[in-house]
Amino acid sequence: MALSGRAALVAALGAVVAWLVPGWQGIALVTVPLLLVVLLDVALAAPVRSLRLQRSGATTVRQGDEAHVDLTITNPSNRSLRAEVRDAWPPSSWAPGTSYDGSRQSLTVPPGERRRLTTVLAPTRRGERRAEVVAIRSHGPLGFAARQGRHRVPWSVQVLPPFAARKHLPAKLARLRELDGRTSVLIRGEGTEFDSLRPYVAGDDVRSIDWRATARQSEVTIRTWRPERDRHLLLVLDTGRTAAGRVGDVPRLDASMDAALLLTALASRAGDRVDLVAHDRTTRVSVQGHSGRDVLPAVTRALTPLEPRLVETDPRSLVAAALAAAPRRSLVVLFTSLDSGVLEEGLLPVLPRLVQRHTVVVASVADPGIEEMTAGRGTVTAVYGAAAAARLTAERHRAAELLRRLGVTVVDAAPDRLPPSLADAYLSLKAAGKL
Amino acid sequence: MSATTTAVSPDSRALWRGGRGPLLGVVVVLVAGVLLAVLRSGDGGALRHDSPTPAGALALTTLLAEEGIRTTPVGTAAEAGRALGPDTTLLVAFPNAVPPSRLTDLRREAARADARLVLVSPGEGAVHRIAPGVELAGEAEVDERQPGCADPTARRAGGATLGGRVFDLSAVEGAAACYGQGSLGTLAVLGATDGTDGTRAATVLLGSPEFLTNDALADDGNAALAMGLLGATEKLLWYVPDGSEPPPEQDEQSLLDLTGDNWRWAAGQLVVAVLFAAVWRMRRLGPAVPERLPVRIRAAETTEGRARLYHRAGARGRAADALRESTRARLAPLVGVRPSAPVSELVRAVGDRTGRPSAEVEALLAGPEPADDPALIALADDLDTLREHVAQLPGAGARPSPAPPSQPPADPGRPPAPPKKDTP
Repeated sequence: MALSGRAALVAALGAVVAWLVPGWQGIALVTVPLLLVVLLDVALAAPVRSLRLQRSGATTVRQGDEAHVDLTITNPSNRSLRAEVRDAWPPSSWAPGTSYDGSRQSLTVPPGERRRLTTVLAPTRRGERRAEVVAIRSHGPLGFAARQGRHRVPWSVQVLPPFAARKHLPAKLARLRELDGRTSVLIRGEGTEFDSLRPYVAGDDVRSIDWRATARQSEVTIRTWRPERDRHLLLVLDTGRTAAGRVGDVPRLDASMDAALLLTALASRAGDRVDLVAHDRTTRVSVQGHSGRDVLPAVTRALTPLEPRLVETDPRSLVAAALAAAPRRSLVVLFTSLDSGVLEEGLLPVLPRLVQRHTVVVASVADPGIEEMTAGRGTVTAVYGAAAAARLTAERHRAAELLRRLGVTVVDAAPDRLPPSLADAYLSLKAAGKL
Repeated sequence: MSATTTAVSPDSRALWRGGRGPLLGVVVVLVAGVLLAVLRSGDGGALRHDSPTPAGALALTTLLAEEGIRTTPVGTAAEAGRALGPDTTLLVAFPNAVPPSRLTDLRREAARADARLVLVSPGEGAVHRIAPGVELAGEAEVDERQPGCADPTARRAGGATLGGRVFDLSAVEGAAACYGQGSLGTLAVLGATDGTDGTRAATVLLGSPEFLTNDALADDGNAALAMGLLGATEKLLWYVPDGSEPPPEQDEQSLLDLTGDNWRWAAGQLVVAVLFAAVWRMRRLGPAVPERLPVRIRAAETTEGRARLYHRAGARGRAADALRESTRARLAPLVGVRPSAPVSELVRAVGDRTGRPSAEVEALLAGPEPADDPALIALADDLDTLREHVAQLPGAGARPSPAPPSQPPADPGRPPAPPKKDTP
């Protein structure tokens, strides 16, 4: 049960009565009837326990979009329900600053009817959001008091990664088609495969004439080629402590995910198979065996609940997991950090095993803040900051150089540049037939 | 109601089931408290003239009554003062419970009425009010003691159960310290000028009430001592403070006294209203929902920490090295020198391109550690100037240079081999 402000107001106005009739009887003259009215109001309010609640609506939403979750309230009693309803979700389910107003709604449900109210969620973080509880305050007809109770109506909304990099997808797909179109004519070489036979037209390279086919048919026939398809991509995300560091306001892991999603979308359109492994000391997520249109949804779902952990990544088991997930020659894209200590002591000694069998790309999220620090001048603090940032940059370049010497392609870019850069690297490798 | 109900708030039955345990506990505690209070109420009649308990004094007053001495109980100091008269003894059973100002009044009135005062186990404040000059000198064990003094009453009584507070009478003329040693006594008789019968003793301080009680009255000479001390006069006033002592009068009136009744009751009703408002505001709509918070570490934190370390340690050499290395790495591709080439080669190339003296360029790119922080700041600016100078030269970077490792980190990185255009 709950009181309303009206009851307190009447009690305050009762001070006049207490002034006119000093003594306990004056106070009783006000308080006893007031309490009786409160009890009557509670008794007349529609019961909360017997309400029936049902949910429906969105189960997934991309971070930054709105999800509409409906709540249907049925009032089986013979009294009208005048209620204040709070649909309680974790704070990060609401757009910033609206967690109070967004969760509270008023509604009236006549006896025996039902009403639907819609909760608009705008999650600010990736992951799963679960509805906590629905609290209902049923006001009495006099407005002095209310009944209150809670219902638990389970519902969860998967908040998918924002995939901001999808804006780059059309441009990269255009490049992919260009690649396709260019090479499907006559250019033959490493990384291309047989596409089709077609009649010779003037201007075609005579070296492409397939004499065997020409002999079978009555006209001169040439072979055409296209970039190889059905290659295998393995995306390996390092979810250790270096992935937790925030660049801007986003963890490195989320920036890597963005790039991974763009790469997945691009590669699945290019006809390549994409698998994914997220690993720190153990394998956290593994997506394998999806193809075609299923890949992007599967990868998105798998990445949704993934959070970085504050542990040191075990590079040995990371490489072992990658090798196990890529039985045949693949393009292995390793999302990790180029911080020299981690890399030189951990990854560098074990990376050759991976490089032997696969083409390896290391993608790393660079911090634009470091670049700003490098440009710092004028004050002692700024110059020392610039020196520290310059040293870090030099170390990163040294690490990248060591990796390049191993034959690894290194993509080191700021969060907003990483997805297109990585897509470019993929397209270049594909065009070069390195897959 | 139905199996599909989603309600999770407890109904009245669940509330009763969950609440009856604690409620039972509260009831048990309350009942036990009331019982204990009833059973142990009062102080067991300690030193009351009509109490038959071991600590009471009914035996003594009965004995005195047989001797024809009337015992009159009084409850307040004012009453005692009014009843004082000649040939009267006033026994103050708990002088420490009497307001000090009242004790002073009592002493004055006793002196005026020529009455005797007997104080049982007085504290320091009470002693100073009643018998100036007497000091307390600690505590002694309550035991059978010998008088060891000239006071005739004590001598007649002989051994008695005394102890408790010890009075130091060394600073008082004409006083007898009994049941102690020398001028220290657990029974102090003051103003006993009449050496023959001691009936005129003005004030008696008792270190312990033990020998007056029903329990100990029959032992040793306790009865004789008590009779001697309290039965020397016709009337005995037995003053046990009953707690109804009116407080000392004050002339000031508080604001509450000045406001009218109506206003006070109106204010009382406002307090009730505040209670209603509190109940209204404190009831929240459902519980607070917890959030599983993500880790918040800025990736640049370690670098900033390193910068602060450089600063605190004054590591100008290291800082200058880092800045020079960064500038060298950026200059090398601009002037067409391998990144791995020795510094002298770079210095020569830069000197040639810019026309600056070699020595100046070398001091800038590979010079000594800056002497102080301003020099470091100046060095950073000079390096910037040099780099911009080289970058603005016509044809900078036009010569083929190897892949620069020193490009800004936004460089997408390049694959190990450029895409092949065609094949033979």
